[in-house]
Amino acid sequence: MFEPVLLKNIDQPDSHLLSTYEAGGGYRALAKVLREFTPDDVVELVKQSNLRGRGGAGFPTGMKWSFVPKRADKPKYLCCNADEGEPGTFKDRIIMERDPHQLIEGLAVSAYAIGAKTAYVYVRGEYVTAIRRLEQAIAEAQAKGYLGTGILGTDFAFAVHIHCGAGAYICGEETAMLESLEGRRAQPRLKPPFPAVAGLYASPTVINNVETLACVPHIVVRGADWFRNIGPAKSPGPKLYCLSGQVRKPGLYELPMGIPLRELVEEHAGGALPGRRIKAVIPGGVSAPVIPERGLDVGMDFDSLAAVGSMLGSAGVVVIDDTTCMVKVATRIVEFFHHESCGKCTPCREGLNWAVKVMRRIEAGEGEPGDLEQLDGLCKGIFGNTFCALGDGAAMGLRAALAHFRDEFAAHIEEHRCPFH
Amino acid sequence: MGMREQIETAAARYPDRRSAIMPALLIAQKAHGHLPGPVLEEVADILGVERIWVYELATFYTLFHTEPVGRFHLQLCDNIACMLCGAERLLAHMETVLGIGKGGTTPDGLFTLSTVECLGACEMAPVMQVGDDYHGNLDAARLDALLGSLRAHAGRLATVDPASAPSPGE
Amino acid sequence: MVNITIDGQTLEIEAGSTVLQAAERLGIAVPTFCYMKRLPPLASCRMCLVEIEGLRRLQPSCATAVTDGMVVRTNTPLIEETRASMLDMLLANHPLDCPICDKGGECELQDMVMAYGPRRSGFHDSKRVFHSKDIRLSPVVIMNVNRCIQCQRCVRMCEEVVGAVALGTVEKGMDTAVTGFEGSLASCDQCGNCIEVCPVGALMSFPYRYKARPWDLAETDTICPHCGTGCQLTVGARKGEFMRVRSDWEHGMNRETLCVRGRFGLDFIDGSARIKRPMIRRDGVLVPVSWEEAGAYLRQRLPAVESKACGGLASPRLPNEVLYQFQKLMRTVFRTNNIDCSSRWSTPVDTLAPLVAAHYTRAPLEELIGRDCVLVVGGNVTEENPVTEYLLRDAARRRQAGLLMLSARPSRLDADARAVVRVTPGGEAAALGAVVAHLAAAAGPALPGDVAAMIGGPGSEPTMAAGGDQLDGLATALTDGGSVTLLVSADILRAPSARATLEQIGNCLQVLRTLGKAPAMQFLFDRANQLGAWDMGALPLALPGLRDIADNAAHAAFERAWGVAIPSEPGADFDAMLDLCDNGKMGTLYIVGSDPLMCYPDRHFAQRALAAADFLIVQDAFLTDTAGLADVVLPAASYGEEPGTFTNNEGRIQMVRKFREPAFEARGNLAIFDFVAALHDHTLQPSTQGEIFDEIARLVPAYAGLTQDGLGRDGAFTRAGRTEPVGRFFAPPPAPVVPGEMMLIVGNGLFHNGYLTGHSEILNTVADDPYVEMGAQDAAERALLDGDQVVVRSAQGDLTAKLKLNRRFPKGLVFVPENYRALRLNSLMRRGEYPCPVEVERAPGVVGVVPIAGLGAGAQDLAQGLPGGTS
Ligand SMILES: Cc1cc2nc3c(=O)[nH]c(=O)nc-3n(C[C@H](O)[C@H](O)[C@H](O)COP(=O)(O)O)c2cc1C
Ligand code: SF4
Ligand code: FES
Repeated sequence: MFEPVLLKNIDQPDSHLLSTYEAGGGYRALAKVLREFTPDDVVELVKQSNLRGRGGAGFPTGMKWSFVPKRADKPKYLCCNADEGEPGTFKDRIIMERDPHQLIEGLAVSAYAIGAKTAYVYVRGEYVTAIRRLEQAIAEAQAKGYLGTGILGTDFAFAVHIHCGAGAYICGEETAMLESLEGRRAQPRLKPPFPAVAGLYASPTVINNVETLACVPHIVVRGADWFRNIGPAKSPGPKLYCLSGQVRKPGLYELPMGIPLRELVEEHAGGALPGRRIKAVIPGGVSAPVIPERGLDVGMDFDSLAAVGSMLGSAGVVVIDDTTCMVKVATRIVEFFHHESCGKCTPCREGLNWAVKVMRRIEAGEGEPGDLEQLDGLCKGIFGNTFCALGDGAAMGLRAALAHFRDEFAAHIEEHRCPFH
Repeated sequence: MGMREQIETAAARYPDRRSAIMPALLIAQKAHGHLPGPVLEEVADILGVERIWVYELATFYTLFHTEPVGRFHLQLCDNIACMLCGAERLLAHMETVLGIGKGGTTPDGLFTLSTVECLGACEMAPVMQVGDDYHGNLDAARLDALLGSLRAHAGRLATVDPASAPSPGE
Repeated sequence: MVNITIDGQTLEIEAGSTVLQAAERLGIAVPTFCYMKRLPPLASCRMCLVEIEGLRRLQPSCATAVTDGMVVRTNTPLIEETRASMLDMLLANHPLDCPICDKGGECELQDMVMAYGPRRSGFHDSKRVFHSKDIRLSPVVIMNVNRCIQCQRCVRMCEEVVGAVALGTVEKGMDTAVTGFEGSLASCDQCGNCIEVCPVGALMSFPYRYKARPWDLAETDTICPHCGTGCQLTVGARKGEFMRVRSDWEHGMNRETLCVRGRFGLDFIDGSARIKRPMIRRDGVLVPVSWEEAGAYLRQRLPAVESKACGGLASPRLPNEVLYQFQKLMRTVFRTNNIDCSSRWSTPVDTLAPLVAAHYTRAPLEELIGRDCVLVVGGNVTEENPVTEYLLRDAARRRQAGLLMLSARPSRLDADARAVVRVTPGGEAAALGAVVAHLAAAAGPALPGDVAAMIGGPGSEPTMAAGGDQLDGLATALTDGGSVTLLVSADILRAPSARATLEQIGNCLQVLRTLGKAPAMQFLFDRANQLGAWDMGALPLALPGLRDIADNAAHAAFERAWGVAIPSEPGADFDAMLDLCDNGKMGTLYIVGSDPLMCYPDRHFAQRALAAADFLIVQDAFLTDTAGLADVVLPAASYGEEPGTFTNNEGRIQMVRKFREPAFEARGNLAIFDFVAALHDHTLQPSTQGEIFDEIARLVPAYAGLTQDGLGRDGAFTRAGRTEPVGRFFAPPPAPVVPGEMMLIVGNGLFHNGYLTGHSEILNTVADDPYVEMGAQDAAERALLDGDQVVVRSAQGDLTAKLKLNRRFPKGLVFVPENYRALRLNSLMRRGEYPCPVEVERAPGVVGVVPIAGLGAGAQDLAQGLPGGTS
């Protein structure tokens, strides 16, 4: 039986308080690291663990850290991506609301590893409770000497600041987040230079997701081997899965990486609602291409999902059952991307606009022959040609919906109505 | 703390005052309810940054309002998970009950009704945010109860300065 | 260097270049929208995508650095399809109102669709519409948001190049729109560079709107008349009528940028104060007459004053040929060296000429500002030479030049500077003296001991004006930098301390030479041909080529060349000429294109003196205040109505072309000189512009060998004369007394420089009302608020204008822009005293009225800052 680590505290009363966190062994990792590890040791440990970023792209965390120049005349920054805008995703919110110290300890250990003295936690502005809890936790940690100067009697100094987002999904894209932090419209930056070299205020910067950072203290305490031995070796570790949609037991589940999607949906989350059948599942937030029911026997890890043309993304698992119109689902998703397009690049800004117009027509029963080819063409024009991955995500999702559920689209056009109404 | 002090406190967190435009706008919006031109100018002047930068941010981010909104901003998520769990029906219900359309404000200025993108609380879909609070697992009955309690709350607070009033409990 | 292959062609190119640059080098066209040569790539339009071998995705060539062995293709079916797809998406939302769009015929989107576009589009849903009516962002900028393709060139131009940060981008995604704060550009620079770079008809010039189609315009490439930067521009005229100005990337040091004066300020040529016919004074009033009558009048009056002194003043906005011919006319026909080219200051020629000869660097500014350190002395480059400022900003931001500012007046460029030394008004010399002392200390034994001791080297205390630690920083930057450029605002010449300032600049350059910094120096002139005017010898003590009038060899050479005797005694400068007038000794005073009554820093005195001249001839295109005092007024061609050359601040000589005939009965300046010479029974030879150019090229060493044909579109460089160090050092000036009172300095504002701009209807519309600029603390002490009407009072007089608060202003400094004719700013000043001590207080009475005790200018003129002349 898998023993949860990330969520082990969350059901306790006052799980967000420092006392609860300390009672469960909290801040031991920070103490250990400051006493026994050089910063390089921490980077090496995380490399050994094969921890891959939980924000969506799955980039190896230790490797990302190692890109930070060792010597730099500029300060280094750690940014925590807590913007969590990917529809279907709520894991970071729950960590911040219920166990904020886990994140703070992760931040402190990671900052020590990369040589940062300042961290900004970019939390989406809607997460008011999470923000308050984080603020409270920062104050507690400061009072207890886990943050501030001379941390735990060493010369390590570290401050955590919260930066509230204000409602823009694109801020989750790491370079757009940096722009936003610098007080600009959140539009992605050209790479190179990569943030590790020139990020926030043109200084070396590491951006990590909340869950990624929360994993770090556990790796320090339990060792790299422990972590690497959970799930597939190339993409290991405990993982938070967000279950939502037309499923019996929506909620947050901590299970090993690589768990079969079918097991996750049908056993852990209780399967379809009474009297219904699962039609499709979006495995990793709406950027991840939809998987039809017949494809559910796939492992929930970066490589396995990529192999079947989808992705783990944020592990926001959205379940869709047979009462739902896939044209409607696809349209709503493209509408989302269209609404959240930052407007910088032509294919995303203009292309998604046309996709939405055509899809809304099809959904309303006003589709015309040629519309699907038009959408195929748009996917082609958008995919691979946009400035950042937002446009790609939109195009991939639409392409998958068109591929797997083309008959539903065609039916709308032929019957001039939605067959589900 | 006055608005200027709060903004200065926020600005101290960053090496560059431009970074403080977003926090300053959040502070200003709390103080003024929304962000009309003169407030944007004031923010720019306090931070000593270009006005157009402030204006750019005030319009880019959806949580900032350059136009007034109602006392309670009902922000119903209609993204994928909430849609799958019936957000459309809830929207229709509220439109009927409140007699306003999406984007509208009730004549008494109490409610503004909006739909928003995913609130990141899909486990309790359908979800609606009102002020600082999330209300999940909604259905028509719960919605009615919620609207009723908001109305009652507004009544109780009628004599209190709206800006300093606490938001209604969960 | 790396090797790259594009479409089968191979090229060796500098590492760090982009694929797009490599393609351009090979002559391979790659379409772009968002790319701006002068700025880092944005890579947002995705038009320039190319295939790179080994990479899965198409890459934006504008933002992809070349690597050795890279193999690129720009012409595959996939690329063609992608380009067509981008254009299809753009065009589908773009209104197809090309027939009424100003840009029709010169629209990049149109051209691009022609070249790469889809032949038909499958999109037939309705287009996005932002607004049904165009938005008037400012008096000169109008926006059609529906046409915008979001290339962001305008916003980047405004923020990164111009530094105005007035335009921005609001909303996001499909709602994204370019606009100003709260939808207005009312308080921007109005430079219109955003319009210039807009590829489509989104941002448009309001004055030009719906006026012409591009193919109907006759275009003339010429040079802006409004400051010494010497920007290239292209005038579009239809049937001889001036229509618009544009500029392009390919030509000119301005590279497609202009300032508001250049882009919108050329309509002055049609100003209402144009003089239509000659005028003579009859019974105390000026009456229009024919040229023949004017000639007869002159013939009758001139002999009567021949026994007395005479003198001439010509404007440094006139072309070289006119200035050259003017001094020749004065020297050979009027037989006097009383010649000057500025009424605002007395040029200390004896200090200036050797400095210019030894140190003036006649070379592209582009090169000079790429140096380690660029020290800008005096003035306010943002308002005086806006396009130079753009280049300096670029040098500081992208080329890592250490920008150092030393001036009394703050400017926008200070924000990009590594050190800013704010001197007390008139304190430039002392501050420079302190810098020199620092440098001398660094030079150590490399300087002879006596020199070191004199200029305050080791051991002696530097005299400090203001900004002590900044001064240290500035001096240290100069010592640490490998190469240094000095840019000196001509503004420093206004103060009585001008000579001392020039001396310290000389010291500074010499010590920098000793330190091996190979210093370069140029002036920043606010008049288009100030350097040319000096070069042409429109000076009392210097012959053409800045050769000393006392230099016998030079003197003899010109007598030989001109075949006439020329006077050898040193002439009077304009200030001294006014003394001659005032003392009743001036016979004929001949003023060409200049308005000393408005510009001379003591209006009462100028008025009295000019009135005391026996015979005042004013030759001008406009009825100036001075012309109002004249005995004879001769209508001259305006800018654009006669050809010639300007020598800009860089020492680059460029063709100023004629794009229409002189208005009304005006004649070319050269023809008028012939006319005047003929009255004296002289003929000036040569007398046509081209021949005079050739004579200049023969007789002025710096211009030797130049031909008009050789000027091309980008002009040619005049050559520095002697380059050996002068070897003379000067003792530091005494530290300026820090004044207890407010000190008024004057100068150019952004919208007006010189009286010409006051005739531009468009500039008058966009310019602020006359204003009084000062700092917040001074205002607070006087309980004054931004926008209040305030009185500025000196011992001589007072004026009333609107207060403009400027947070960057130091305490004690007051600035009022010149060139608002109705303000009579110079009536506050006393000759020989600058800056001018003043007091500032709230104006009594009604807000909005501008009460000025004065000489009959109409109230309406005053309120609008318009010229009050009639014609
Ligand atoms: C459009 C877009 C939205 C994203 N949103 C998020 C987000 O909300 N949270 C997040 O952690 N990462 C998000 N990412 C991924 C980040 O760019 C980045 O890869 C991640 O924060 C890195 O952290 P990690 O290595 O710990 O995963 C997003 C990426 C894109 C392209
Ligand atoms: S794909 Fe382009 S427009 Fe879309 S969010 Fe990314 S940069 Fe912005
Ligand atoms: S020119 Fe390269 S993306 Fe626009």
